[in-house]
Amino acid sequence: MSTTRTNQEWLHDLNASGATQEAAIADLRDLLLRAALYFFSRNLGDFKGLNRDEITQRAEDCAQDALIAVMDHLSDFRGDSKFSTWAYKFAINMAMMAARRERWKGVSLDELAASDESHFFASIREDKSDGIAPEQSAMQAEIQRIIQEVIEHDLTENQRRVLFMMVFNEVPMDEVVRQLDTNRNAVYKMLHDARRKLKSGLQARGFEIGETLALFGASR
Amino acid sequence: MKSDRFERWLQNIYHTQDEEISCSECFDLVSHFVEVELAGEDAAARMPKLKQHLDQCAACREEYETLRDLQRLENKGELPSADDLQDKL
Repeated sequence: MSTTRTNQEWLHDLNASGATQEAAIADLRDLLLRAALYFFSRNLGDFKGLNRDEITQRAEDCAQDALIAVMDHLSDFRGDSKFSTWAYKFAINMAMMAARRERWKGVSLDELAASDESHFFASIREDKSDGIAPEQSAMQAEIQRIIQEVIEHDLTENQRRVLFMMVFNEVPMDEVVRQLDTNRNAVYKMLHDARRKLKSGLQARGFEIGETLALFGASR
Repeated sequence: MKSDRFERWLQNIYHTQDEEISCSECFDLVSHFVEVELAGEDAAARMPKLKQHLDQCAACREEYETLRDLQRLENKGELPSADDLQDKL
């Protein structure tokens, strides 16, 4: 069990030398391992086919990587949260990347990215076809048509690719990042730019937020 | 249900802001957000840009939710040991 330290004590001990630093690092590593195991325990579906020892080993690896990241960023800690809260996020971040990598191992994202959005919209229409007035159904179809038009004409190839993977095929962010050899900020920016264009496209054609969401029952 | 997913995405489209913070900025701020929230304050009102990012970014939102739940356990003195967590795997 880790000892309880104040923020100042954590910083002091981790920056110390000898036995004091070694004890603090051991305690920190224990906290990071627990954070990684906690994330894994909530996401066991990502580890189908792996036994407990193999999953534990991946958590140990995440804890070690997180420990290095925490020590590298120690000077960034501003003290606006508990030190443990600040440190946990590194382990959770590593654990999420590891879990998603495991889940999507062997899946060809190129094949997903090569598909188009028409199947997605067709299945939405099937989902929503019961009990909807013809006029509402026609308006929904019009909104979907506008969205498809904006996707086709206004988005860049990269924005389309990321959109197809993440929105239409539910590929997680970190897997897209890994496949495209980029980072979360770049992927988020592509999605943000795509959303801005889609919002503008819908508004330019007269579909404002309240009306559009109400048409799809999403205003609640 | 794909229609539910589409409706959520439609909400995301309409709630898009011209300027949104990045995932890195979210990572920098999220521990403070959790601290404020667990202190019983309105974290969303104090940090609206972060809240907006969490609403838009599923990856950051999942990290935030895990961090919040983990910290809540620690605050209550109920953080499971590594051995206990391994037993759940």
